[in-house]
Amino acid sequence: MLKELLYIVLVGVFANNYVLQQTTGICPFLGVSKKIDQASGMGIAVTFVMLVATAVTYPIQKHVLEAFNLEYLQTIVFILVIAALVQFVEIVLKKFIPALYKSLGVYLPLITTNCAVLGIAIDNLSYEYVTNYGTALLSSLGVGLGFLFAMVLFAGVRSRIENCPSPKAIQGLPITLIAASIVSLAFYGFAGVIDGMLGMA
Amino acid sequence: MEIITALIVLAVIALVCAVVLTIAATFFAVKENEKVVAVRDCLPGANCGACGYSGCDGYAKALGEGECDNPSLCIPGGADVAAQLGEIMGLAAGDVEAKVAYVACNGHCKPEDRKYVYDGIQSCKAAKLNYSGDTACTYACLGYGDCVAVCPKDAIHISKENGVAEVDPVKCIGCSLCAKTCPNGVIHMLGESARVVVKCSSHDKGAVTRKACDNGCIGCMKCQKTCPQGAIKVENNLAVIDYDKCTGCGACHEVCPVKCIHLENFVCGTHF
Amino acid sequence: MNKNSKLWIVLKGIIAENPVLVLVLGTCPVLAVSTSIVSAISMGIAATLVLICSNTLISLLRKIIPDTVRIPCYIVVIAGFVTIIQMLLQAFLPDIYTLLGTWLSLIVVNCIILGRAEMYARKNGPLDSALDGLGMGIGFLVALLAMAAIREILGTGAINLTALGMESITIPVLSEYNIPLLTSAPGGFLVYGILIAVVNMIGPKKGAEKRKNFSCEGCPSASICGRVSCSENAELVSASENNTLVENKTEKEEA
Repeated sequence: MLKELLYIVLVGVFANNYVLQQTTGICPFLGVSKKIDQASGMGIAVTFVMLVATAVTYPIQKHVLEAFNLEYLQTIVFILVIAALVQFVEIVLKKFIPALYKSLGVYLPLITTNCAVLGIAIDNLSYEYVTNYGTALLSSLGVGLGFLFAMVLFAGVRSRIENCPSPKAIQGLPITLIAASIVSLAFYGFAGVIDGMLGMA
Repeated sequence: MEIITALIVLAVIALVCAVVLTIAATFFAVKENEKVVAVRDCLPGANCGACGYSGCDGYAKALGEGECDNPSLCIPGGADVAAQLGEIMGLAAGDVEAKVAYVACNGHCKPEDRKYVYDGIQSCKAAKLNYSGDTACTYACLGYGDCVAVCPKDAIHISKENGVAEVDPVKCIGCSLCAKTCPNGVIHMLGESARVVVKCSSHDKGAVTRKACDNGCIGCMKCQKTCPQGAIKVENNLAVIDYDKCTGCGACHEVCPVKCIHLENFVCGTHF
Repeated sequence: MNKNSKLWIVLKGIIAENPVLVLVLGTCPVLAVSTSIVSAISMGIAATLVLICSNTLISLLRKIIPDTVRIPCYIVVIAGFVTIIQMLLQAFLPDIYTLLGTWLSLIVVNCIILGRAEMYARKNGPLDSALDGLGMGIGFLVALLAMAAIREILGTGAINLTALGMESITIPVLSEYNIPLLTSAPGGFLVYGILIAVVNMIGPKKGAEKRKNFSCEGCPSASICGRVSCSENAELVSASENNTLVENKTEKEEA
């Protein structure tokens, strides 16, 4: 049992990395990865919102939409709930943990339109290993940590690119994307590793 | 019928969200000091720290909560912001002299006189760690652009002609970030009305300066003797101008044998 | 060309302000969906339809929607149209529906659509907004198609048309020397990077280097900058530069 839970988290972090394998959440990945502290701030905020979003959308899907045969309202309901949730988290953080709000506050409004968050809320409903509420939360946690990991890793890579001279045409975004390609290639190697490691293959 | 259930479900979900948010907004509302908010809105938001506080939020808090009673600390905002802040807080706004960054280095270190070939990380701080940098003069602008990186207004650039940082005084907002970053302390903050500047930072003796640079201040005292106001003094082998006394007559500029005293007009950005 | 003409509104989205290659918006679907030509075209058309409809409706509602809650309102409008497109595809082209999968729902959070609502439809009339949506949508489609053509043809050496109920086309020589990497995520990043580099090289260079930046969404200094988009910011900067030049001139003349 524990093995399966570990599997869900590890797959989210490595093999099924949402940024580098599924290419979701690219905007913040490219935009906020210039400095390592901002990258980790954004990563933590996204992980948190993913977790809370799944905590709310999963029961809504199971107990409201499926109960009334309204699966087609999924997109509109999920985005509505996530937008409201992000706002709610912002208000609560501001009141109770102002220090955390100061460091994460800037990123929270941007997360509403982060496709990784909506993506995991929807994808969770189709993954085979997501069987109940607990595994859905765990899967979101794994994917969120994967996002954080990719952001921090790439921030490190980027700080090295900045110090290297490169041809004029590929300066800026192109070289960043090419670097992302190489980092993504590294993650490509994780496919199958998790299954083999935990003997799940 | 199905349409109606869909409508009801969607409406209920939206209503729940709205109610929760409204409740949260009223019950968890953070009471912010109105004055702090008003002050914060007036500040330019560059978070440069020229006021001496940790960014605009810090200054707004200090001012709004009465820890600080000087509304004229914001240099980028200038007199306008000071007047607005004074009005909000009911304090008299003092004069804010707009400031400009100025690079006190002529940059005439000859390239062939570089002490060694520096091939490390392209940053002044890193270069400085290697035997005080690769420039022949240890007081010179290193030219790796740490100041360019911190400038919030894109007002400072490394000149292509001599590899030395150059400030565009029209764009410069006087936040002093570059001056704080420069590891050699070559960048000085001057009042916008300053008309005469010494474009050298070398405290070396004349002969040593001469060897490294054609235009470095050699401490010959000619300017000190010439100045009708007694506003310029050579201290520690470098001419220093007292801007309270300087009238901008330009006599020192005329006599300087190495031409390291320049006449500037920061307001419109011209120089001679 | 007259910059106010209706034609220009459409054309600028395709070339001068191509949302994908110049404004760098909506990167996620571009990378994910450009693995095959068919999915790229269907995604492009779906996004274009949503873009036109949402731009028009938001433009019509622009005076009713209060400023403080405008973003949630836009999202709901967009989500509504996305659901409509989803249902249409599911009914008439079920193969395409399964091919695009989650990405169809994710059109909701595509920065291009929300971005155009915020930058354009909010300030312009319904006809102009619809045309802007059309132009931007076609620009998105063209960029997607370019990416997909490179990735699918070089990556697999064939064009897969099974989703349309047709047989796949195999390209003679390329199918023996295909590069499978290009169809995976790393290949997507690589092709996108190279395409932007090519656009940088051949693109119009108007005097000063044009600032190519990420959308304000991901921009850490969005709160400080206060502009709607980086391109607008660049325009303002160049305008202020011109002003200071003029000021300098007059000052000199006075002196």
